[in-house]
Amino acid sequence: MTPTMNRRRFLGAAGALGAALAAPRLALGESKTLVAATFPGTWSEADRQVILPAFKQATGATVTQSIILGTDQVARLVAAKGNKPPFDVAFFDAPQVIDAVREGLIVEYPVDKSPNFKELLPSAQDKWGPRITMQVIGIGYNPSKITGPPQSWDDLLDPKYKGRVGLTALNSQLGIAFLAEINRIKGGSEENFDPAFKFLKELLPNVGAIGANLGAFATLWQQEQIDIAPYNFNFVQTLKAKDVPVELSIPATGPVGWSTSLHVVANAAEPELAVQYIDTHLGAAIQGQLLKPPYDVIPTNAKVTLSGAITTSLAKTQDDLAKIRTLNWEKLNPQRGALIDRFNREIKI
Amino acid sequence: MAARSRIRWDRLSLLFVFGLLSAIALVFLIAPTLIVLITSFTASQSLKFPPDGLSLQWYAALLDADQMQRAAWNSLVVAFWTTLIAVVLGTSAALAIARSRSPWLRAADTLFMSPLLLPALAFGFAALIFINRLGFTPNIPFLVLGHVIVCVPFVLRTTLASLSQLDPAILEASKSLGAGRLMTFRRITLPLIASGVSAGGFLAFMASFDNVPVSLFLADERTEMLPIHLWQQIETNLDVRTAAASGLIVMATLLLMVLAERFAGLTRQMR
Amino acid sequence: MRVSDSMLALPLTAIFVACFVAPLAVLLLLSLHGDISMTGWTLGNYAKFFTDRFNYSILVETLLLGLKATLVCLIFGFPIAWLCSRASPRWQSVLLFLVILPILTSVVVRTFSWIVILGRQGVLNQIVLGLHLSHEPLRLLYTEVGVVIVLAQVQMPLMVLPILAVLSKIDPNLADASRVLGAGEWRTLWRVTLPLSLPGVIAGCILTYSASITAFVTQSLIGGARLIYMPLHIYQQAVGANNWPFAAAVSIIFMVTVMIVVAVLSAIGRRSETYGGA
Repeated sequence: MTPTMNRRRFLGAAGALGAALAAPRLALGESKTLVAATFPGTWSEADRQVILPAFKQATGATVTQSIILGTDQVARLVAAKGNKPPFDVAFFDAPQVIDAVREGLIVEYPVDKSPNFKELLPSAQDKWGPRITMQVIGIGYNPSKITGPPQSWDDLLDPKYKGRVGLTALNSQLGIAFLAEINRIKGGSEENFDPAFKFLKELLPNVGAIGANLGAFATLWQQEQIDIAPYNFNFVQTLKAKDVPVELSIPATGPVGWSTSLHVVANAAEPELAVQYIDTHLGAAIQGQLLKPPYDVIPTNAKVTLSGAITTSLAKTQDDLAKIRTLNWEKLNPQRGALIDRFNREIKI
Repeated sequence: MAARSRIRWDRLSLLFVFGLLSAIALVFLIAPTLIVLITSFTASQSLKFPPDGLSLQWYAALLDADQMQRAAWNSLVVAFWTTLIAVVLGTSAALAIARSRSPWLRAADTLFMSPLLLPALAFGFAALIFINRLGFTPNIPFLVLGHVIVCVPFVLRTTLASLSQLDPAILEASKSLGAGRLMTFRRITLPLIASGVSAGGFLAFMASFDNVPVSLFLADERTEMLPIHLWQQIETNLDVRTAAASGLIVMATLLLMVLAERFAGLTRQMR
Repeated sequence: MRVSDSMLALPLTAIFVACFVAPLAVLLLLSLHGDISMTGWTLGNYAKFFTDRFNYSILVETLLLGLKATLVCLIFGFPIAWLCSRASPRWQSVLLFLVILPILTSVVVRTFSWIVILGRQGVLNQIVLGLHLSHEPLRLLYTEVGVVIVLAQVQMPLMVLPILAVLSKIDPNLADASRVLGAGEWRTLWRVTLPLSLPGVIAGCILTYSASITAFVTQSLIGGARLIYMPLHIYQQAVGANNWPFAAAVSIIFMVTVMIVVAVLSAIGRRSETYGGA
């Protein structure tokens, strides 16, 4: 085995591999791909396991998920304005829709190309894009450590929870909604957030960890680093499915929620596929599937009756859901940057 | 008598302290990789170590992870082209630098090495702005060029080290025997520096495959890179599939390292 | 046309000018303007950085972080390099292999394994609680201590390799002479070996320091979004807040700071080379 022989064979093999790598498209085969945004946690899982296979069966196209928070989606679409957007389908919470429409980031939803659109509840049929679900926040708690569900946000201040309370960073909708709700309860307004920050500062001695992002927040529950925190109904269900002890309690002041919707992005690379993808979310069969554990996604299709954890924790019928209080996003959105800044400066553990 | 026993005590204490520190450091260096490898074989849903039972279920789950596979393929393609360009251009630049004393080439050497010291994130961001101002959107060729900038220093360093050990007398002998420059390069220089070049190419490949700061700005979902996909998974899902993917990467790295050691004497290059 | 040797460097130079120097120049230009369409010149971005304590403290925290990580690397890395230089060639290869392995494994993978280790129920806490070193699990994840630990592990090879390179070249006769003259091992280490190895130590510190402060992945994954260092700050301003000119200014400030530190350490390094030289 002379060195020359070794090297030659090695170089030959490398060359062959190189030729294979140089023709990526040939190796993977032709098939269209749609890039769609989705939220971290429950929704990306639900999309991956339910929507993507259904979509592939219907259209033969694959989907690349861009797992990204609503506000970050808006930022990236703004940065890409005028060029090809990083994803074709946007997944927004109610506040982002306002900003997106104003900046011209999304197009009106082509209702005639979407057969399932008419099946939605009237309140869900929005011209900019169908509302596919609703998110509700409440107090998440570990039932094995805390007996009896907490009845009020003020329970977080209870000294017996010292070091056991969790908070999440304000870049997520959960964080902002929590802050806005506390602010409202404590007498503040959209112009004045001092009451909310006063509450947070009182809360600080109890705070055990601040989740840097939603994945990290979920880990805090999994590793039992926190026992009580503001949390989102769907995330609680997802963790329960992973055998993590956590339940959601709606405080006496009532639940707070907002709608979530899908949109076709302006200048999309695959606008036809985008509409078909969104349409896949709207059908009664799919929404019925997503309603089941572990996703427990609140449906907006009129033909789907509520069942399961939703009826026990939140509301019995769609009419009850419609009564859940929402926040004034028109006024809150412009404050967002300043609020995040203030949070970063003042709330440190 | 007394002097001899004092010295032995001294030596022992030094060896003990240094040995202890080194042992801690080595455990420190190796343990994380081992732990993630073992955790990836867990039979349970969580990332607990030691795992509750062993199973290949998470590796099987990787077969379903279409997006992860696409990201891995993209990273491989980009790493391949980056290594190719870096090796060719880096070797020829190394030849120039090794053979000349001109101050321009000294300056060029510093320039070529600077991506190693400067924050790659700032460079990635600068590249994005630059491409944007030129009116383009980032795509694979730009991504490859960005990677070449941050990976070519490795090729340069190892090749220069190899060249410095090359006895100029051999080149003189070849020239005096009538061989042209190209032939001298092909028959004499190249074989002698081959291990240096391959070690550098190996390092460049790993650096490109693993790169995050540049890919963060120059790659998007349509050209998703594996490290960024894994990061996204860690930040959003934190489930065991990430551990399985990590396990695969660790095993692949080990394999490539053993190969590099056999064929290019990797550790010898590092000394 | 006769291709001279120096011209072999032209292709790479061309690529660097087009893909490295030009983008950095554009970055500098953008930082001096008010908005992305570059309409008006302004120093406002720089002023904003230096007058706001929050921004300024991020820079200081980052520099201190590098210092801590480098110190830890030095304390643990020097002994490994020392042992390696005295080992037989076969063991040297093994040790080097183990040292290089972390740096070649994907940084995301390595950082992820630390998340597993440092978590509340992670291995480290299991050991700590098991040995009764503490009553409560240690909070290491998302703290600076955690970041320093992980940074030190990730960058350790960068400290070990240069020190090893220098230690191998030290004339063993010098240490022998010191011993013959009656100095103990520790004294020999302090008076002879250390000063002679200083260039390698400094080189290792330069590499470790600059790598630690620019280590975006590790800082962000272990520190979380609460511990903001310069790289994350740049990223948040660039992608999150879409404030490109300000992000450009922060990037320039960061790069200049790194260059200054490297230049200072290099100057010290060059002076230390005279200690062992003839």
